[in-house]
Amino acid sequence: MKNFAYIIFLALVSFIFLGCEKKPELSGELVGDQRTIEIIAKRYAYTPEVINVNEGETVVLKLISDDVTHGFYLDGYEKGFFVHPGETKVMGFKANMAGRFSFRCSVTCGDFHPYMIGHLRVIPNNRYHAGIFLVVLLGIASIAWSCKKQRNNENKLFGVIPLDWRFELTKYKPIRKMFKSRWFPFIFILINFFIFMVILISSFVGSFSSGNYNFGVMITWVLWWVLLMTLFVPLIGRFWCMVCPFPLVGDWLQRGKLLAVGKHKSRGLNKKWPKKFRNLWPVTMILFVATFFSGFFTVKPFATFVLLSIIILGAIVIALIYEKRTFCLYVCPVSGFQGLYANFSAAEVRVKDPEVCALHQTKTCYTGNEQGYGCPWLELPFDLNRNTYCGMCMECFKSCSHDNMAFNIRPFGTDLLAERRRTDDVNNRRGLDEAFKSLTMIGILFAFFLTMQGPHGWLKDMVRVTNLHGYGLYLVGYTIFNFLLVPGLFFLVSYLSKLASGNKEVSLKQVFIDFSYCLIPIGIARWAAFSFGVILPNGSYLLNILSDPFSLGWNLFGTANFPWTPIFTGSIPYLQTITLLIGLAFSLEYGYKFARKIYADEKEAKRGWIPMLVFLVSLSVFFLWLFEG
Amino acid sequence: MRKQELLAVILVVVFSIGTVATVIIYKIATRDPQRIELLARAPEKGNWSPKTITVKSGEKITLVIKNVDTATHGFYLPAYNLVLTDIKAGEFREVTFTPRKKGQFNFLCSVWCSDYHMHMRGELIVE
Repeated sequence: MKNFAYIIFLALVSFIFLGCEKKPELSGELVGDQRTIEIIAKRYAYTPEVINVNEGETVVLKLISDDVTHGFYLDGYEKGFFVHPGETKVMGFKANMAGRFSFRCSVTCGDFHPYMIGHLRVIPNNRYHAGIFLVVLLGIASIAWSCKKQRNNENKLFGVIPLDWRFELTKYKPIRKMFKSRWFPFIFILINFFIFMVILISSFVGSFSSGNYNFGVMITWVLWWVLLMTLFVPLIGRFWCMVCPFPLVGDWLQRGKLLAVGKHKSRGLNKKWPKKFRNLWPVTMILFVATFFSGFFTVKPFATFVLLSIIILGAIVIALIYEKRTFCLYVCPVSGFQGLYANFSAAEVRVKDPEVCALHQTKTCYTGNEQGYGCPWLELPFDLNRNTYCGMCMECFKSCSHDNMAFNIRPFGTDLLAERRRTDDVNNRRGLDEAFKSLTMIGILFAFFLTMQGPHGWLKDMVRVTNLHGYGLYLVGYTIFNFLLVPGLFFLVSYLSKLASGNKEVSLKQVFIDFSYCLIPIGIARWAAFSFGVILPNGSYLLNILSDPFSLGWNLFGTANFPWTPIFTGSIPYLQTITLLIGLAFSLEYGYKFARKIYADEKEAKRGWIPMLVFLVSLSVFFLWLFEG
Repeated sequence: MRKQELLAVILVVVFSIGTVATVIIYKIATRDPQRIELLARAPEKGNWSPKTITVKSGEKITLVIKNVDTATHGFYLPAYNLVLTDIKAGEFREVTFTPRKKGQFNFLCSVWCSDYHMHMRGELIVE
């Protein structure tokens, strides 16, 4: 059994490394040093999907369209042309830059137009090999580092930054005053309320247009999503929850007051959410099911309208039935990963001095008073030590009669080590729900990347439901990948870790759960890496839609007819490599700390850490392959 | 606090109902009989809309062609030799002219836009 498990693991690791190293077949015909390749463009893929050429060759592309007008824009080389149906157009260039480059359609050709992408591989793919080299080097360096590690380094991040280092932002009087004002963050919620009103109207009136020229689709899926994944979540955690406009109406109905402090007990039914579901399971499943429709939401304005309407109405209905922010905690589809990943972020709301709280009998931060509501997120602010369920609504700053709350900047990821202190709080511990949230985010990204930035037309046809059979197949495959394959593999690695450590007391479940938290830093990094491929090619559409939000022919800023301009798309692979490396560095650093927590002594921890380290390195190589291999 | 609460409520109302009202009022207020809006869509997605445009001879008109489709279209009115080629998805294009020839004239799409491209035609009636 033991040997069997090792063999499977080694086979998988070598499979990843060898699979990423497969020698690609060259495309087209080579005469002299000129390689001529015929490309057929048809909604929403190119044939061939991937073009392989050697560095230094002169490449001549013959572009033919099989249905409507299509374009061709090559990242990095920054060259493009377009072709009407019935024509053949030719473009030549010298392949003097090695690496993998995406080429994309440059003339809106249908709903999936932004996802009409192919890959050009100029061999040797040095950039990718350098990436793998750096990832493996980082892995080896991490082993060497953890072997050398001194005891006094254990409470430091990378042996430099003390984990308990905090910088209190609210020690400055104007900031504290702002946090205590009832207009904060209300004013930002209002601004977002207005923006989302415009999004709703524009996605409704522009419902048949192409998504890339629609205010609703572009602001939601290009601007908001990218800001969320590259800035908000990694740096400030649940920052979006602080300024999110969706609970506004629900709060108003519950409290009877919009801004001032009204009823503390909801005017709705005020029911409690079932205990069984007070964890990340509901939001994990809701997000997972929502991604079944990713082929519609991000491209069709009307689908965006429907999705946002469901979320807004859902927030109101749940607010009327259940207490406080039950919707945000247990129903909102984007709440789960924000909460989980917020544990990595560099910001936190915490108590300044726990002793003040210990002496304070009434706990106004939980019960509320005339200045503020009791924690709408059902946390106990005086006892807060993890970010998962803290929505940063800033009510505790207002309701604390001792001014004892603080907004801190901290080293990245300190909450990943935090265990819930209170033993009675069964629903707020590290658990399988959080582990599965982490694990499913791997499969969701894999599917998103392949459909939105990958070259495979057949997969895009499945996702956009050209026929139900293909769609069904996709859903089955997607679900198996997310809930069996990835968790199964992680289970295997956890099992091996336990075996390697030689520790018999620790439970396998504990190993599985505790190690799942080292997936968070690379998780955030990989989502940020993916987001670069969303914003840089599609960012210029924002200029169009800002000038004419309702498609009424306005030109508010004079940019309504700005041509589609990809921005620095050649830099995407470099940005992705750097981001993945940073993520991996944090994962390895924290991973070893988890190993020390899981296993009794240092020797066991070192042995038990190795399988997990190999897994994390392989996972990074896998994503490197996906992004640029 | 009461005044502030009132202000907050007013802001919410302005931002929600006010935004919707502004868009509707704008659409009504900017209605201009000389500007004729013509939506361009592939036949299976709704075709030219309106399909028939009636104008008076000798009166200057502006056609605003809005491509609200997801593929490139073109506008071709052979009788007046008017061609607007490559109107891309999401693009608005204007053409101003004074119809003098009376009669019924076809206009069509000039860019292959779908399998039913040949059916994408409408009629201009000059009275």
